[in-house]
Amino acid sequence: MSARAVSSRLPFIGAAGRHNRVPSPYPWLMPVILVMGLFYLYPVIDVFRYAFTDLTLLGGEGHYTLSTFANVLTRPELVQIVWVTFIFTAGSVVGQQLIGLAMALVVVRAEKRHLFGTTILRTTALIAWVVPGIAGGIIWKMLFNEAPFGGLNSLLRVLGMAPVQWLSDPDVVMWSVVLSNIWRGTAFSMVVMYAALKAIDPSLYEAAEVDGANGRQKLFFVTLPQLRPAILVNMILITIQTLNTFDAIISLTGGGPGRATEVLSLYTFNVVFRNYDLAAGSVLSILMLVISLGLALVYASFLPKDEKA
Amino acid sequence: MKLSSRDRLGDILSYAFMAVMFVFFSWPLIWLLSMALRTRKEVFLGVYRLIPKFPTLENFTMVLTSSQFPVYLINALKLSCLSAVGCLIIAAPAAYAFSRFDFKGKGAWMLGILAFQMISPLVIMVPLYRYMSRLGLIDSHFGTVMVYIALGVPMVTWLLKGYMDGIPKSLDEAALIDGCNRLSVFIRIILPLSTPGVASAFIITVIAGWSQFLVPFLLITKDSLVPIGVGIFQYAGTQNASTIQVLAAACLISVVPAIIAFLALQRLILSAMTAGAVKG
Repeated sequence: MSARAVSSRLPFIGAAGRHNRVPSPYPWLMPVILVMGLFYLYPVIDVFRYAFTDLTLLGGEGHYTLSTFANVLTRPELVQIVWVTFIFTAGSVVGQQLIGLAMALVVVRAEKRHLFGTTILRTTALIAWVVPGIAGGIIWKMLFNEAPFGGLNSLLRVLGMAPVQWLSDPDVVMWSVVLSNIWRGTAFSMVVMYAALKAIDPSLYEAAEVDGANGRQKLFFVTLPQLRPAILVNMILITIQTLNTFDAIISLTGGGPGRATEVLSLYTFNVVFRNYDLAAGSVLSILMLVISLGLALVYASFLPKDEKA
Repeated sequence: MKLSSRDRLGDILSYAFMAVMFVFFSWPLIWLLSMALRTRKEVFLGVYRLIPKFPTLENFTMVLTSSQFPVYLINALKLSCLSAVGCLIIAAPAAYAFSRFDFKGKGAWMLGILAFQMISPLVIMVPLYRYMSRLGLIDSHFGTVMVYIALGVPMVTWLLKGYMDGIPKSLDEAALIDGCNRLSVFIRIILPLSTPGVASAFIITVIAGWSQFLVPFLLITKDSLVPIGVGIFQYAGTQNASTIQVLAAACLISVVPAIIAFLALQRLILSAMTAGAVKG
């Protein structure tokens, strides 16, 4: 059959059908482009527009102004909010990355030695990861219950230790929230680290052994350098995930006590949907975008140049 | 001999670490289950009655026979399944194009789609809430499903593209020579061969939809239309210390479907989700 005969039977490809091998991709991409354009691109552009207005959710068309920007960015509580966000994000990311890496290393070792329990451990961690944020917050609220019968305090009492004010002490509450977030998020890092460990070329270890490296040297001079790209990509993903966390905090502490756990996303939500201040919320949304983009670029600059995704 | 004793020490340390981690990850779930099975009296006995002496299913019956909870569950199931189907319909053709065609700016398109996932749903909900209320799509499952779809499309596109990459291109070429057009190659050959990929994408989107809170919390105000994520949040707000065991049962009921769906396809989902991060 000649090429012409084939192409005449390919009405879907249209004009590009003559070059049978390079049909136009755009009809295929159209649904995605439409959905992403309508629900992501256009709203994001509108967020930038709103930031230069004094719009509220109560109605009215609003006027263009630069003062919203200045007002929001000089709010006295913003410093506190950004600090809380930083502690929450840094604590969660470092905790998830370190514990995830440690679990992956131990699981790989345990599998090699045919130890019992690796599958149970992995599955349990993953179940925690699948738990929806709201439910996770409710579960941890039960554990942090400060009454003598609370899930952690009654355990402490059995061990003969003093109860902790998990959620009402402003100095403790942030670490409680970080702990609950590490519980929910670590499985992802563990799975990524596990897959990256399995992808390391075994001949590197053989070479290290020939050179007389011990276990610790193998870890620091072979394993960790080989994992670097995977660790950085994982850190980008979990940082953004953590910055956007909202439901797990709203159902655990609601941002309290006071503002002790009100992270930027929760604050933005409150500004828009509790105070109806659309313009101020848009400025805060831009701040969120800038922070995630900035952090992603910082991490990406540590990636080895030739392996950049 | 020295080596084997060191190995044994390593084994002991591995077991110790794994045991600590297992307790950390399982304790909240064990506690939830324990609470849900207790009577009101036993709740106050804390950890001493981790295994209740008088276990009861009454809390579950109470939740499941209440007037709202079954409705919340059905709403959540409907929203997450519809959005998963919608996601697949929209993402599958694009995934095929990304997998099979060479065109200018393909890498940029793919990264662009992925970059949208960095944006917090909260950011787009700020203007979307305004549009939706103007269009009268507040309290409509249709509007909510559309937003769910948009949130899921980037991930599903990448997932399906990755899966289709594993199907030999020679199949397409053979079918094209036999007179199929691209559309029928896609529908009759590639899609059926992608069933495992489609299934895991479907399950991932259903789980994500089941876990949704922000979008329905903002877009749905009528109690009869609310999905479980919002329902349980509002329910928790009305509870106090004397009904903690009922809340635990409700929470467990809301979590178990997601866990079952995940466990059913665990292997597929994990390999799909980590592929991107490891290649990077």
